Amino acid sequence: MRFQDAAQDARSVVYAGIQADPLVGRCAVLLADANPAERVLARAVMNGETIEPDHWRAMFPTLFGSGATDDATVLARSEAILQASLAVADRGEQVRSQVRGALVEELTAQLLMRRSVPGAVKRERRILFDGVPAEIHPYDVTVEAAPAAEAYDCKWGARGINADVLHQLDDARAHASDEDERLTVALVVFDARRSCEVRLARQSAPHGATGLVTIESLDALALPAR
Amino acid sequence: MAGETFQELIDRALDAYAELAELGETVEDEWSYVNDLADAWRARFDHVVEHRGHAPAPDEASEATDRAIDEIGRIEDPHRAIDWLSTFPQVVLIAMGERP
Repeated sequence: MRFQDAAQDARSVVYAGIQADPLVGRCAVLLADANPAERVLARAVMNGETIEPDHWRAMFPTLFGSGATDDATVLARSEAILQASLAVADRGEQVRSQVRGALVEELTAQLLMRRSVPGAVKRERRILFDGVPAEIHPYDVTVEAAPAAEAYDCKWGARGINADVLHQLDDARAHASDEDERLTVALVVFDARRSCEVRLARQSAPHGATGLVTIESLDALALPAR
Repeated sequence: MAGETFQELIDRALDAYAELAELGETVEDEWSYVNDLADAWRARFDHVVEHRGHAPAPDEASEATDRAIDEIGRIEDPHRAIDWLSTFPQVVLIAMGERP
């Protein structure tokens, strides 16, 4: 099993520009330290129709209302997440969709870097196995370190879970096993576990050995791999 | 709507949610998913009603639900409606002080 950078094509060049957008990095930094309600706020605003801040503050009274924390740091973070999310929402529909996808990848990478050796977390990588044709689509985030490598596919919402991605992840895990290597594979979905489980229940593609990280459990990415 | 119970708040939310699901259902390939998703979240709301449906909802939770209902009422794109079939319940549950 070996890793290599994905081939560059026109689409990947355009997407690299989205990934490098400072707004993506800013959102990811904020959301890496966010609490569950703040992450749902970001999801709602970035999916939203309205870009009026007070509308969203009123929709999240546990963050901005009388019951909110009196911790000034948390309050400032909630407000920063709101403003950054509104900046994403203010983009055109196509751009905001790309930004949301890139954000989940960047957030995943940042959380994984908290517990990985420097340089181990990489983006847009292919995984090659002897005698197996390489997958066309690269893995969004990989952790390339012994004793077990990891590969993640990142989705903004539960609806992004499909047979292709489940097959790709499980095939990689199985091929690694064939080579007596260990590869942990998982989906990271910036959506509720309940919604992801409904989506997964409809899939016949193999996913019993594929991990699922959801909006509620993102912090687990920063914990030592099991 | 100030002075309502959690049951009343959730009833209002579910009425709006049903309209959102109808919009999502227009994506024919996702009809079953839309209905399974809506059923799963309705079950979560039913659980809240069962445990504290008769308790008074905080005014801020009612206001938050009004805002969330207003937000989904603006949606015209059925694909965005499907995304909000997951997001809307999370927002309302958090406003009620519940974990999604």
